[in-house]
Amino acid sequence: MTEEYTGRVRITSPLTTAPAHVRRSVRQEINESTGIGEVYMRSLIRAQLRAALTVAATLALSIGALPLLFLAFDSFTEMHVFGVPVPWLILGVLVYPGLFALGWVYIRQVERAERDFTELVEPHGPDQS
Amino acid sequence: MNSTYGIVAVALVAVATLGIGAFGLRMSRTTSDFYVASRSVSPVWNSSAIGGEYLSAASFLGVAGLVLTHGADMLWYPIGWTTGYLLLLVFVAAPLRRSGAYTIPDFAQVRLQSMGVRTVASALVVAVGWLYLMPQFQGAGLTLRTVTGAPNWVGTVVVAVIVVVNVVSGGMRSITFVQAFQYWLKLTALLIPVFFLLHAWRGDGRPSPVAPEEWFQPFSQADGPGLYLTYSVMIATFLGTMGLPHVVVRFYTNPDGHAARRTTLIVLALLGTFYLLPTIYGVLGRIYARDLLDSGRADTVVLELPSRVIGGSTGELLAALLTAGAFAAFLSTSSGLTMSVAGVVGQGLARGRISTITALRVAAAGCVVVPLLLALSAERIAVASSVTFAFALAASTFCPLLVLGIWWRGLTARGAISGLIGGGLSAGVAAIITIGARPDGWFGVLMSQPAAWSVPIGFALMVGVSLATRSDVPANVSRTMVRLHTPERLDVDRRF
Repeated sequence: MTEEYTGRVRITSPLTTAPAHVRRSVRQEINESTGIGEVYMRSLIRAQLRAALTVAATLALSIGALPLLFLAFDSFTEMHVFGVPVPWLILGVLVYPGLFALGWVYIRQVERAERDFTELVEPHGPDQS
Repeated sequence: MNSTYGIVAVALVAVATLGIGAFGLRMSRTTSDFYVASRSVSPVWNSSAIGGEYLSAASFLGVAGLVLTHGADMLWYPIGWTTGYLLLLVFVAAPLRRSGAYTIPDFAQVRLQSMGVRTVASALVVAVGWLYLMPQFQGAGLTLRTVTGAPNWVGTVVVAVIVVVNVVSGGMRSITFVQAFQYWLKLTALLIPVFFLLHAWRGDGRPSPVAPEEWFQPFSQADGPGLYLTYSVMIATFLGTMGLPHVVVRFYTNPDGHAARRTTLIVLALLGTFYLLPTIYGVLGRIYARDLLDSGRADTVVLELPSRVIGGSTGELLAALLTAGAFAAFLSTSSGLTMSVAGVVGQGLARGRISTITALRVAAAGCVVVPLLLALSAERIAVASSVTFAFALAASTFCPLLVLGIWWRGLTARGAISGLIGGGLSAGVAAIITIGARPDGWFGVLMSQPAAWSVPIGFALMVGVSLATRSDVPANVSRTMVRLHTPERLDVDRRF
């Protein structure tokens, strides 16, 4: 009275209670302030801060250095271009387009950083989740 | 100077201001309209409005007066006022807009979750506003006296009344239109006479300015306080702009952070264009109006030049145009300041039973009274230099609050309060000592331009005390950072 041998049977658990494996989006990581979300946020903030500090350093080394430059080089302050003393030309005119250019370069830089970040969080446009 | 043209010019500006204000009133319906023009102002409108509001009497009259008196060294003031905007752009503009708050005290409360910080910041907004309003009112008195011969107090009171009527009636929305109009008025008023003046100057055989050597050269003496003063002015103006209440409140009227940046860039262009002009008036003043130096009325050089150099009815008309521009300068800056100070005070009042809009109106009237009394009673000091104290105070308090609050997670409420009080006391006491006692020597120099030492005090206290109270860092700081720094089009959770 032996049972009929039907071959080996593999018994596996269906794992019905375990969470299904879902790809988590960067947005979820950020919304839940997980470690990964924090890393993304810190990298964005660092990129923006770096751009801001670059502008500040450029200002310090250009406009900020002018008084010392005038002080150190007397001959420089006595030069004339079109009859106008060079310090007046720099301080009265040339500084302003320089400031605008700096602002323009900065905006290009941070807007690019923000675009890259958006791309990272929502790779296929804004409407999926 | 023929006073009829001048009076007509002043009356026209006043009527146009009130008229455009009334036009705005028809569109102001909600609280949000009142406080921030419902955050829907386009970058071009907004930047013209910022330019109109920012270019005060100190820019329109004061810079030319300073150049006339002191020469090349004074060119740092307009440079500083423009650079301040660049630093505002890179450190503050977009995150501040994204914070979603109405005012600096709102920002402080949102970021640090503390009513204490809010109260201290509100008090400082009022202090900076008063320091800035007083010279505007005094300058208005001076202008009207120069043009019409009326006593000083008339112009002061006229400006104060128009400002209150305007703010009370229309709020931020109407102010935006008024300010934008006034930028272009100010630029035109300064630009057109320059062509006539330069033409007359060439006709005279291009005479050179008559002045001592140090007028032409920046820092002719290396050992004096010149270098300290220059760097202190730089620090105050570079870092103070971002903390001026009427400047900051403008950023909340942008639709988003992206627009806030665009707006600031256009403002840089508008300011740079404008600041080319006052220097020309100052230099021409050295040639044609040196007696103003001796009579202590250098601030009026812009208004005096056309009748002296050109004369006749052309000269009178140009002088009237400049008067209109100067008057627009007082009105726009005072309106913007009153609006922002009243916004802060009004929010405090509205906690009671009165409605938000009533609170704003009551606060506007109240906020003008103190600087008005100060302007009427205090002795006159040069417009541009008294504005410097407002910049120094803002740079020592709100600059560290905004920069650290936006970029450093470690800021705590107690740290912020210590920095606001410490930096504020340093800059405030220096202003009181200088205006009240006028001390001599190096002590006087340090007190007259306090920013170089008071700004580091503000920053050091905020960082130091925050580090000492590290356990107080708000629990939701990560969420706040997400809100401040992510682009609006990203659909992430920004709740606090």
